[in-house]
Amino acid sequence: MSIDSIDPDDVDAADILGSAIERREDPALITGNAEYTDDIELPNTAHAAILRSQYAHATIEDVDTSDAETMDGVVGVYTHDDLARDDTPGDLPFLIPVAWQLPSLNDVDHPMLADGRVRYQGDAIAVVVADERYLAHDALDNIDVDYERRDAVTNPSDALAGDAPQLHSEGDRNVAFDWEIGDEDKTDDAFADADNVVEFEADNQLLIPNAMEPRAAVADYNPGTDELDVFMTTQNPHVHRLLMSGVLGHPEHKLRIKAPDVGGGFGSKIHHYADEALVAWAAKHLERPVKWVATRSETYLTDAQGRGHETTAELAVSDDGDIEGFRVDTKANMGAYLSTFAPAVPTWLYGTLLSGQYDIPAIHASVKGAYTNVPPVDAYRGAGRPEASFVVERIMHLAAKQLDIDPVEFRKRNFVADDDFPFETEVAVVYDSGEYEKPMDEALEMVGYEDFRERQEQAREEGRYLGVGFSCYIEACGLAPSELAGQLGAQAGLWESSLVRFHPSGTVTAFCGTSGHGQGHGTTYAQIVANELGIPYDDVEVVEGDTDEIPHGMGTYGSRSAAVGGSSLVKSAEKVVEKGKQIAAHQLEADPEDVEFDDGTYRVAGAPDRSIGIKDVAGQAYLAHDMPDGEEPGLEATSFYDPDNFVFPFGTHVAVVEVDPESGEIEFETYVAVDDVGNQINPKIVEGQIHGGVAQGVGQALYEGAEYDDNGNLVTGSMQDYAVPKAEHIPEMETGSTVTPSPHNPLGVKGVGEAGTIAAPQAIVNAVSDALDPFGVDGVEMPMTAERVWQAVNEQASADGSGDAAENGGEE
Amino acid sequence: MEFNGTFELEDTTAEEVWLALSDPALVAEALPGCEFLVRVDDGDVDFDALREEYADRERELTADADVIEERAFEEGATYAALVQISVGPVNPTFETVVTIDEREFPEMSASGEGSSGDSSFEMSSSMALSETDDGVAVDWNTEADVFGRVAQMGQRVVNPVANRVVKRFFSSVQQQLRDLEMAGEGDGEEESGKRSLTDRLLGRSKGDK
Repeated sequence: MSIDSIDPDDVDAADILGSAIERREDPALITGNAEYTDDIELPNTAHAAILRSQYAHATIEDVDTSDAETMDGVVGVYTHDDLARDDTPGDLPFLIPVAWQLPSLNDVDHPMLADGRVRYQGDAIAVVVADERYLAHDALDNIDVDYERRDAVTNPSDALAGDAPQLHSEGDRNVAFDWEIGDEDKTDDAFADADNVVEFEADNQLLIPNAMEPRAAVADYNPGTDELDVFMTTQNPHVHRLLMSGVLGHPEHKLRIKAPDVGGGFGSKIHHYADEALVAWAAKHLERPVKWVATRSETYLTDAQGRGHETTAELAVSDDGDIEGFRVDTKANMGAYLSTFAPAVPTWLYGTLLSGQYDIPAIHASVKGAYTNVPPVDAYRGAGRPEASFVVERIMHLAAKQLDIDPVEFRKRNFVADDDFPFETEVAVVYDSGEYEKPMDEALEMVGYEDFRERQEQAREEGRYLGVGFSCYIEACGLAPSELAGQLGAQAGLWESSLVRFHPSGTVTAFCGTSGHGQGHGTTYAQIVANELGIPYDDVEVVEGDTDEIPHGMGTYGSRSAAVGGSSLVKSAEKVVEKGKQIAAHQLEADPEDVEFDDGTYRVAGAPDRSIGIKDVAGQAYLAHDMPDGEEPGLEATSFYDPDNFVFPFGTHVAVVEVDPESGEIEFETYVAVDDVGNQINPKIVEGQIHGGVAQGVGQALYEGAEYDDNGNLVTGSMQDYAVPKAEHIPEMETGSTVTPSPHNPLGVKGVGEAGTIAAPQAIVNAVSDALDPFGVDGVEMPMTAERVWQAVNEQASADGSGDAAENGGEE
Repeated sequence: MEFNGTFELEDTTAEEVWLALSDPALVAEALPGCEFLVRVDDGDVDFDALREEYADRERELTADADVIEERAFEEGATYAALVQISVGPVNPTFETVVTIDEREFPEMSASGEGSSGDSSFEMSSSMALSETDDGVAVDWNTEADVFGRVAQMGQRVVNPVANRVVKRFFSSVQQQLRDLEMAGEGDGEEESGKRSLTDRLLGRSKGDK
């Protein structure tokens, strides 16, 4: 069921909200008219290149930059020592901050340039600034670093073991934090008299985000005004401004962060890295524009990675199939330092989702964060929620199998009932609204589940192995009520700000503090504002991503833009309408109480001929020749919208695969996604987000994974070695949706940006596991490469002594 | 990463191969991409100075065992080499320092490390000679830790490179054995003279540390 795009000209103003209109940003993106950071050419720009550690872990005895400095065209070469100099801007320590606290957090110093020690391959040691980009890169070869190599550790269980190399100080044993959620005693009791205990153990591998556009920054400093402009690839310019002002010691009000067009982020452009700050520092020092664009290799080495969990879990289930308790123990890879929101991801964004769509009476989860010699690990599309959904839905699959109950029936039996909403889970959140059987039933219909088992049986007789896998996910997004975020450790509020401004001619500019980087906010926000103001869609322009233009903002991540940013725009528009009403009433010589606003027109109640359009009201507001007493001229309004709760999208994804046990190859027969993301502002954009999200989930399930060797070298450091799925690797998807509006925000929206990524991996793993059931295979480690699938089949075959796969049932 | 293999040299004897592999000049000549290979006092090597010193120096290859004896590898001694290797798209030149850990006919082992701008390695290698029906088999084994850019390319890229270098090295050794008439059926006089010299060299390698 693919949705057809509609030309906005063919949609009535009253119907604009909810229409699948074409994205207005696409022509520029497709034709090359979009302006990315690297397209910005300021006069006299110098170019930076960053020398990165070749070792995952080493002490730096000395850095000799003299040869590089004397090269023609090299403007300067800077190391940590230069940051300390009196004649360079700012003062030590130039530490990269973490913006989320936990009570047990062992925060460690993360210097902008290595201070005698490097902790991951790619850690920045020196920066070269030269007249030309390639020259800057060439000069890196002439910097002589005297390393004393140390042993490295790259996975959390090894890092937390007693004999592991220590990253920071000897005493902390690489523990970044130790966190728990839920009721341990109650959970222990549930397990003590459980009929059945289902066990699960699996990794959720490290992933590399791979935004299409590498990170980049152009900084320009005006010594006359002390103004520092930084154009950069960011998902949250105001957050970067606040953090960078602290790192550099530059006043926040004289720092401008602007996001030009940004080519994707998936979370990787939320975080504050050393590189962009270094560029700003260099521009300030040299009083000359400086540009840095990461090479693709650099993005592999340095972009914050995602996931990286090692988990064991147990589910207590009665003989009847009722879930009684759930226990989870996770070791989370945090990388070498704590990135911006890193502490939140494997804790509050993970533990709180462990109830899934189920009514589980007792849950306890403990999570230990480990420092390792890989780049900092932080939010990546889904951020904590895919990991939670993976654990929950894998163990549901295993439990149904162990109890010999149909996986659909087992899930339905344990779903939170429709009349239990709002539903308070055992892990600290209250689900706003839901009807979990609805998308499940639609998905079953779409895959033809009724006949599937029969079909599967027949296929097996023919030596073909079909499998169906379910993923009934829940997601908490729309980050977040600020007070709650604060209680959970956020060092920032998570409201959103917007400004809706009428111009005198009646067109509108809407500013929002979110910062889209591919999501289509220019379209959806205009739909929202046009609908609220009752004016033509084409008369609304949307501006994001510039701290100088937009009052404030928290950015785009955590599927928050529509729910929080969109709602803020509604609030601002409502204020505009309200002020307009005062002016309209004055113009119409009526009492404001008697004036109604509908579809862009103010009318006097009971006297529909006495009316004035909002555009004319805007004109009057700026003419200001005849204003109501005490009313200021102009027509615009700002709002800071703080949501009441997270929103909780949900849905069911079903993968149907055929697995060849002899080659280990997996082929999709069907992939069905039925998502309930609340009201939809633009169904085509919703569909696109689901498609992209599922594609990334398929990537995790089948292809992607950051691999390190024993010395902490990234051995998947290029597009050749790290398989981002191509179009041919992605199944044809059938998407459907149900609509359960969120009661918490004025739009009734729930957020869609991460749903597909959260849902997909376990649907596919469960399908493969179902297909290989005759071989006794419970699951295959992700990414499920053909080799791993083949091995799983054969290991199982030899473990139970039944000979090789083919004899066991692989062939007729 | 671990690399190993067996290379067979034809029409020669273990003693002759040992003699050839005792000669830093011959090894340097045979090793692809090797600019120089010289004995140094310790691991703290000034490669810039060596580069200048050996920039234009001709390698004097010889079959004269007296000459070889004079400059032969010694157990416990340290050597510096500058070696360029093409790995995928990069051509790093490694400043390499190697120490001969053991050297006793017919086995030899060495360990060392090399570094270039963005890559480095640490390795230990061993080699054992054995006579076969028609020549000599060299069993070689190297364990290497590779770091930086080269390591990122992974074993899939590095392995074939290592195998190619080793193959070219031994092929070249074989060629030198022929060219210098260390090997083969030379006339009786020369051969007997050589053999005694070879023996002396072997004897020395056993006795003298």
